[in-house]
Amino acid sequence: MACLSNETLIACNEGSLGPIEAARARDHMLLCSECRRAAAAFRALDMILAKPTLHTPPARLVPQVMERLFPSLPRITSIAAMIAASTLFLITWIYIYFDFSSSSLIQALQLTTDGASGWLAGVIKAITAVYTGTQAAAKAFAALLRIFLPTPVGTVVAGAAFLALAALLANALLRPWLRKARTKRS
Amino acid sequence: MILDEDQALIKKTLRGDRRAFEELMRKYEKKIFSFVVRMVRNEDTAVDLTQDFFFKIFTVLDKYNFEYKFSTWAYRICYNLVIDHIRKNQAAVDSLDDESVTSRDLLESGHVIREDGFKALARDETRDYVWRVVDQIPLKFRELILLRYIQDLKYEEIAEITSLPVGTVKNRIFKAKEILKQEMEKDGMLI
Repeated sequence: MACLSNETLIACNEGSLGPIEAARARDHMLLCSECRRAAAAFRALDMILAKPTLHTPPARLVPQVMERLFPSLPRITSIAAMIAASTLFLITWIYIYFDFSSSSLIQALQLTTDGASGWLAGVIKAITAVYTGTQAAAKAFAALLRIFLPTPVGTVVAGAAFLALAALLANALLRPWLRKARTKRS
Repeated sequence: MILDEDQALIKKTLRGDRRAFEELMRKYEKKIFSFVVRMVRNEDTAVDLTQDFFFKIFTVLDKYNFEYKFSTWAYRICYNLVIDHIRKNQAAVDSLDDESVTSRDLLESGHVIREDGFKALARDETRDYVWRVVDQIPLKFRELILLRYIQDLKYEEIAEITSLPVGTVKNRIFKAKEILKQEMEKDGMLI
């Protein structure tokens, strides 16, 4: 009897031969050492393949997918910092080019406490002293800026800087939604 | 309908539970990554493709039919993704449609890298050796060996995933085993 084919040997090992074919294969292998050896070799191969060496993916794999699927909101602190920077910038610009010092609340307070005594008047006097000093420094700085940046140029520079800050803020706020929309589209 | 573990996680994900999807990814990441890395033979590309796969799974999760096994559905998506990638970068990999090639041709043409000196090595090293040989066999055989042994799928499931007839799947897996056996015999790894 001719030796068994590799297909028959593999199928025999897997138990997928019909009962008659399986009996024939077993009978043949009792007499044929070559086929017995080949069947054993396929069994050994099957045992090795059945326990594959799995590759461990890098730890960043899942977190990166999660970040792509659910982009985290920009940090509250960074949003607050950007809003504060924009506001401060705008106020500074207004202060430099429009002098509102005459309508200052501090000056009004100073007038009401002039000649008065007591701890509240003392506190207000201290605050107004600090304020007056700061105002003098700011005025000097504003005068210096006005020399280097006359109003039209200053307005353009301030406007561009303010727009840039606003764009940064909008980007930080809208990025998660934009990314989500892109994800849905893809 | 009784849901299995995967399907329960999908239900939770569809209800908005992000952690459930993360759990699902953790469950499959190793097997999927192993399959992809052995298919594309490049770890960086495999990372990108595995991430793209999970990303895609998430975006089409609402189309999943609960009457079918999640793993078969997912592996089919993964298989198509990888095959698409390989087709687009075909120059870098071996032929996908070389149907005429026989196991003897493959061995003689040097498709299989010979590794010597493993005769007296430990079981783990023998296993590494066999899987290295698997990595070198042509894609049409390799993909089926990977689906069968890494993903632990039945012939029928492999046929469904690859859109091949069950007979072809069996035949190719038999041929792949022939190639592997011959290689192991040549190197004195068997008997």
